[in-house]
Amino acid sequence: MERSIYLDCAATTPVAREVKAVMVPYLEDEWGNPSSRHARGVRVMSAIDEARASLAALVGIADEGVVFTSGGTEANNLAVLGAARARSARVGGTGHVLLGPSEHPCVSRAAEALAEEGFDVETGRHADDGALDLEDFVERMREDTVLVAVMLASNEHGGTYPVRTIASRARERSPHAHVHTDAVQAFGKLALDLPELGVDSAAVSAHKVHGPKGSGALLVAGNAPLRPLFFGGGQERGVRSGTENPAGIVGFVRAAVLADDSQEETLAHLRRLRGVLASEIDALERSVRVLSPGGENAVLPSIAAMLLPDPPDAPAEVVLHHLEERGVLASAGSACNSKKKDASPAMTSLGLGPEEVLRILRFSFSRSTTEDDVRVGVRALGDVLEELASKIEPARADRRP
Amino acid sequence: MTVDDADEGDERLVLVRYGELAIKGKNRSEFEKALARNIVSAAAAISPVEVERLRGRMVVHPKRRAERVARRLVDVFGIASLSVARRCSNDVDSIAELAERELTRALDEHTGPTPIPFRVRTRRSDKRHPLTSTEIDKLIADRVLPARADRLRVDLDHAELVLGIEVRERDAFVFAGRERGLGGLPVGTLGKAVCLLSGGIDSPVAAWMAMKRGCDVVFASFHSAPYIGEGSRRKIVQLVKRLGRWQPRSRVASIPFTAIQEAIRDSCPEGYRTVLYRRSMQRLATELAGREGAGCLVTGESLGQVASQTMENLTCIGAAAKLPVLRPLICFDKQETIDIARRLGTFEISNLPEPDCCTVFLPARPVIRGVLSRCLDAEARIPLTELEANAFEHMEVTDV
Repeated sequence: MERSIYLDCAATTPVAREVKAVMVPYLEDEWGNPSSRHARGVRVMSAIDEARASLAALVGIADEGVVFTSGGTEANNLAVLGAARARSARVGGTGHVLLGPSEHPCVSRAAEALAEEGFDVETGRHADDGALDLEDFVERMREDTVLVAVMLASNEHGGTYPVRTIASRARERSPHAHVHTDAVQAFGKLALDLPELGVDSAAVSAHKVHGPKGSGALLVAGNAPLRPLFFGGGQERGVRSGTENPAGIVGFVRAAVLADDSQEETLAHLRRLRGVLASEIDALERSVRVLSPGGENAVLPSIAAMLLPDPPDAPAEVVLHHLEERGVLASAGSACNSKKKDASPAMTSLGLGPEEVLRILRFSFSRSTTEDDVRVGVRALGDVLEELASKIEPARADRRP
Repeated sequence: MTVDDADEGDERLVLVRYGELAIKGKNRSEFEKALARNIVSAAAAISPVEVERLRGRMVVHPKRRAERVARRLVDVFGIASLSVARRCSNDVDSIAELAERELTRALDEHTGPTPIPFRVRTRRSDKRHPLTSTEIDKLIADRVLPARADRLRVDLDHAELVLGIEVRERDAFVFAGRERGLGGLPVGTLGKAVCLLSGGIDSPVAAWMAMKRGCDVVFASFHSAPYIGEGSRRKIVQLVKRLGRWQPRSRVASIPFTAIQEAIRDSCPEGYRTVLYRRSMQRLATELAGREGAGCLVTGESLGQVASQTMENLTCIGAAAKLPVLRPLICFDKQETIDIARRLGTFEISNLPEPDCCTVFLPARPVIRGVLSRCLDAEARIPLTELEANAFEHMEVTDV
């Protein structure tokens, strides 16, 4: 395989060897349908039961609260659509839905679908320091609010949100509300304990924590009602019909257990990486600004969104491909040719202009990222910025009278 | 697979008709061979077929799934029309029996209002047959109509359902209905052309139109790594694969363009950049044409569509090509091109958010009325011959 420095762990992570090892039997000999009544099926269901119990114990909920899904997107859709629809009757029809200011599209677009059904959908805003404007957010909670959804940490800039406070304020102000958090990025890095957070549900995904793609779960506390998105054979207690994905489930749970075992070390490791990033960026002497909404301590240290300098007048996507040429894989906040109106709301709500949003480059780390990876990555970034400045700026200067 | 496809066995065949004008003279045999080859290749994914060449017709014998083969062949250039047919001996009883079967099938599939305006139309290539065409029409109609009087109504001039009969020396074909083909000429019969393919909407449509007129299209694409990512190259391959419905095998040359673009951007008048990029592309495409034995270039240019496509700029750009440049879309409005791109299925691919030129290379104010002598002056400032030779040398050629 090509050698590269992979700094795009918020997109996905490599499957851990131990994870693959527990999956293989379910792709080879143990191919039974978990719903079958014969032993071949029952054995597989037992493995799923065991996985379910492990995951439930990790996050402090009952086994029945684990709904295995095809990943984070489905889990978030199930929470947003399923919870709002299940509760709308209590508030006399539709109801009010309140979202955090930088939710992932699998939350915000699902909420758009609710708006089309007649729900009143509202979005919170960031305060000047980039943190959630909590007071404003709490103000928006209403008697008829059926859903409050705020992510634990942003996939775009790593900013975290005070989900625990939000959940407890929601209990006071909105008795009918289901409180959901998208924990896809935070899972495995921050401790996730549902009763402690006080939320009704959290969405998690396997492939962000060295598990397989196509697997995830909605973790549900208590008996929060959910209307299913899929109907069929009644699997997952009727909330998510469809034959289970045994290899994906056991792989996911193994990955979750591994992540949980090392969660504190991982967090400490990620903080060190962010420290290395900061000092390497200082050494570049170029005005690369690492975004830290709400202050450095409030940012998930696995994600570093960097505002690149101008000059060079190059979008982050161009920088990204130049980095790729040097073997460093990263991601850009927005595609080069994306229209201004498509600029990420998470970024614009941090006060960045459309031109600036195009200059956001993201490095993201996992426990397998090394300090050297970060050093090489930042130095390569320095080289690319220098190269682009020398290539692009003279031509621009030329045309200025 | 539908049930009727399954139980028909290999009895049903596809009768292919092609335009007569194009096939006169010495080219006829070559034309027919190319068409037969293209038919076999188009049908391959559905069923192996054998092609029988008759006078002015081709009979395609699919091993199975005749209906699906027929639907697929509608997209083979050079075919004027086709029918799923059966063959029998040329006596009236045999013909009538097949006519019954084909009509029953056609009526089963019919969903519109009844009675359907109907007629029989016989074509007789064996003029020695004891009955005239009109006599056969009448005899067969008399056999099939009485049992279907409630569903069929004879209308010789405005028939919607035509029972076709082709009587030949030893046999006859019977079919209900015909599909129009795309016309055009079989891909490959008019020689090769090099199409400059961007990721945009226009050039795939231009390539398709050149294919329609019998060109075997070789694609030249220009790549500005590392300003542009690998995704753009994938988009080009996706576009060419989609056009594979009309041209089964295509050669794609990916030409590295970064060094040329940087040199032009850094050393030439800014307004002329786009025109100069395109002139360079024309020279490289000409070079590729030489290597591939192609006789012309094809572009998706359309008069006045963008700044680089004014009459003056097209002149500046075209002057760099050493071969005729076909511009099938030259007088199309954008919407007309989009309509075709949608039908071809290239539109969605072209709309993928993969840039074909990085914004850092675009001029702020492109020249509208370029002057050739200024292009030549600008080009003299940079070692273009060398840069282009180098790009050509590092070109990657793949067959899609």
